[in-house]
Amino acid sequence: MNNTNKLERRDFLKLGAGGLAAGVLSAGCATAASTQEKQNLSAETAAPPKPAPTAEPAAPVAKTAGPPRRVLGRTGIEVPIVSMGVMNADNPNLVRAALDGGIFLLDTAHGYQEGRNEEMLGTVLKDRKRDSFVIATKVHLSTLDRKTGLFSKETRGEEIGEKLDISLKRLGLDHVDILHLHNQSARESVLYEPVLKALEKAKRDGKARFLGCSTHKNEPEVIRAAVEAKLYDVVLTSYNFRQDHHLEVQKAVGEAAQAGLGIVAMKTQAGVYWDKEKQSPINMKAALKWALRDPNVHTAIPGFTTLDQLQADLEVLRDSTLTDDDKRSLEAPKLVGFFCQGCDQCLDPCLEKLPIPELMRSFMYAHAYRNRQAAQALLLELDLPESPCGDCGACPVRCAKGFDVRQRVRDIVRLREVPREFLI
Amino acid sequence: MRGSPLAARGALAAFFVFSAPASGDFQAATAAVSETSSLFPKVEGWKISDGPTRYTPETLFEYIDGGAESFLQFDFQDLASATYANDGAAHAKNRPSSRASHDRDSTAASKAEITVDIYRHRDAFRAFGMYTQERPAGTTPLPIGVEAYAGPDYLEFVVGPYYVKLVQSGARQPSFLRRFAEKVVADLAGTREPPAVLKCFPERGKRARAEKLMARDFLGHPFLHDAVAVPYQIGEANFRLFVVEGKDSADVRAMVQRYRAVAKSPAVATDSAGSEGTATLKDPLNGEVTLQWKGRWLWGAVDQPADECQSLLDELGRKLSALDKESSAGSPASGTR
Repeated sequence: MNNTNKLERRDFLKLGAGGLAAGVLSAGCATAASTQEKQNLSAETAAPPKPAPTAEPAAPVAKTAGPPRRVLGRTGIEVPIVSMGVMNADNPNLVRAALDGGIFLLDTAHGYQEGRNEEMLGTVLKDRKRDSFVIATKVHLSTLDRKTGLFSKETRGEEIGEKLDISLKRLGLDHVDILHLHNQSARESVLYEPVLKALEKAKRDGKARFLGCSTHKNEPEVIRAAVEAKLYDVVLTSYNFRQDHHLEVQKAVGEAAQAGLGIVAMKTQAGVYWDKEKQSPINMKAALKWALRDPNVHTAIPGFTTLDQLQADLEVLRDSTLTDDDKRSLEAPKLVGFFCQGCDQCLDPCLEKLPIPELMRSFMYAHAYRNRQAAQALLLELDLPESPCGDCGACPVRCAKGFDVRQRVRDIVRLREVPREFLI
Repeated sequence: MRGSPLAARGALAAFFVFSAPASGDFQAATAAVSETSSLFPKVEGWKISDGPTRYTPETLFEYIDGGAESFLQFDFQDLASATYANDGAAHAKNRPSSRASHDRDSTAASKAEITVDIYRHRDAFRAFGMYTQERPAGTTPLPIGVEAYAGPDYLEFVVGPYYVKLVQSGARQPSFLRRFAEKVVADLAGTREPPAVLKCFPERGKRARAEKLMARDFLGHPFLHDAVAVPYQIGEANFRLFVVEGKDSADVRAMVQRYRAVAKSPAVATDSAGSEGTATLKDPLNGEVTLQWKGRWLWGAVDQPADECQSLLDELGRKLSALDKESSAGSPASGTR
C-alpha cells in the first residue's frame, strides 16, 4: 500500500500521450509560440481564419521540447493550446494527471460547486511550484440581470474584491493569473466603470496578474467591448462549429487578438451530443481541433471528467491538425426523414399492434446517428414478436410524416439478430 | 437470438443494404413546459416578485454559467426559480440563489427577498449526489427533507429528486429562510431518507457528512457509475472507502473486467462463478485501489489505502449483504437509489 500515484500517472502519460510530461516547463516565463505549433497550423486544408498581426513584436521563439503552445496575447504567457475547464471535475488526481501531461492552464470560477471546485484545486496546487501552472478564476456579480445582461444600480464593485479574497483562500494562493468578470453579454456591463475600477484594484493589489471577461451570449459585442475598455488582457468566449454566428465570433476574435488580447475558447464541445436523446455523440477531438484551427484562439478549455477524455485531449494537444475525416465527422447527422414526432396515429391501424414510434426511433438511431448498439438495445426492450409484421399483406398504416413504416420495421428488426460485438 | 459468426455477418450485411428512407420534414419535438407555479407555496406577507422561471438542461447555463456542467453530470431535469419579496422590497431579477455568487450586503433596509431555486434531478440519488458535491465540510445538518444546512443568508436542502436552494437578500435579520424551507419542503414529494447504502459504511474513522455521490465517471472512469465515496482518517492514514452499485452481478463483473484492463492488472482472485472476488489494482490515475465485489456491489478503498482498511472493507461487505437481505425482505430502503 505504497504511494504510487505519481509514478503511475507518469507511466500512463508516457504510454498514452507520447511522453508529453517530459516537456512541461515553467509556465509563466516563456513568451513565444513553438515551431511545432506553426507547422500544425500550416497543415490545415480548409481556409482557416487568418492570424492577427501581433500588436507587439514577439520575443524570440523559445524552442521547447514540450507540447505546442501559443502566446496568450499581451499577457506574454505561453500557454498549451489545450487547457482544462475544471468546472465539473471533482477528482484531484485527474487534475494532477492533466498538469503532469502538460495541460497547465486551469480554469475555474468562484461559483462552481459553491466553491468546492476551487477548494479541490487548492488541494492539488499546494504541492506544485507556483510558476508551474496558470490559474484563471471568474467572479460573478450578484447584481447582474441575466435577461438584460446589465448591472443594476445597486452594483458594488467591491463585491469583486470580496469574492476574489474568498477564492484565493480556497485556492491557497496569494494571486491568480487571470481574473475574469464572469458571464458578460452586454457592452455596457463590460465597460461599467465601478466594475472596471474594482478589477483594476485587484490587479494593482497584486491579487490578479491579468484581467479578463467571459461570455457565452452576444459574444462579438462583448469581445469588442473588451477591446474598447483597454483594461482586459484576455477574453474567454464560447466558440464552436455549431454556433450559427461562429463567423461573427471568429471575426471579433481576430480583432481582439490583433489588439493584443489573449483569446481562450470554451464550449468547444458544442453540447457533446448532436441529439437530445444523447445517442449521437459529437467527435470531441474534431470539435476541439475545429476551434484550435483558428490561430487567434490561443487555448481552449474543454471540461473532462475521465481518463479517456484526458487522453483524447492530450492527443489533440500533441497534434491539433483538423483532418478531412475530422471535418466530415463534424457534419450534422441528416435527420430529415428520420425523426418520428410521436403523434401515435400509426398505432390503431397497425393490426399487429406494434410500438411503431419506438421502432422508428430505433431506425433513426441506426441510420441517422449510426449508433447501432443503441438501436439494438431499444429493439430488445420492446419484446417484439419473432416476425413483427406477421402475415399482414397490405399494411394499413399511413404515417403522418410519410415514412414507409412497413419497410422500416422490416429493416430495423433484423438488427435483433446481430451479435452485439459486431455492432460498431 | 444469437447465431453463428457467419450468419451474424450475413445479418449485418443484409441490414446495411438499406434503401433510402422516405423524405419528410424534420420537426423538432417541443419540450413540454412543466407546471412550476405549484412548487412555490403561498407565504403570508410575501408575494412572488419574479418568476417562476423554468430552466432546462439546454438553458441552465444562462442562469448559473459553467456551473451547469456539474448539474448535467447528475442528470438535471429542470429548475424552477422564483423570488419572493415582502412588502415594498426591491426586486432582484434573475439572480441565482447560489450563495457563492450572491451579494450578502446589498442593502441594509428592513425589506427582504427570498430566492427559491428548485432543481429537479432524475432521481433521489442524483439529487443527493449534487447536494453532496456542493455541501461544505463541517456543516451542521438541519432536519429538513433528507438533509439541510444553512448559513447567515442561505439554506440548502434535498428531498426526493429535488435539490433546493434558498437565499435571503436585503435585510438579513430576521431570517425567514427556515420558515420558507419548511413550507417548500412540505409540498415536494419524494423520500426523506438518504440513500440506504450510506448506513453500510463503518463508523470507525469516518468523517461525518463528507460523503460524496457520483452518478458517473467515478474515479475518472466512465464504466464506474452510481458510486458513493466516504473519506476516513485513522491515525495518520487518510483514505476513502467507496461503494459502486451495479445493475446486477453481470454489470459489476463487467466493471471489474474493464477496470483490470485499464490497470493492466493480472488475474485476480475470484470464486468459480466470478460473481465474488477481490483484487488490488494499480489505477493509472488514482494509484493503488483495493477492490472487492459480490453480487451487484463493488466496494473498495482508494487514496493510499492503509492496512487498517481491510477490517473496514470486511465490515462494509457484510453490511452490503445485509442490505440485500433487507431489500429482498421488502424493505423500501434499498441501495443507492
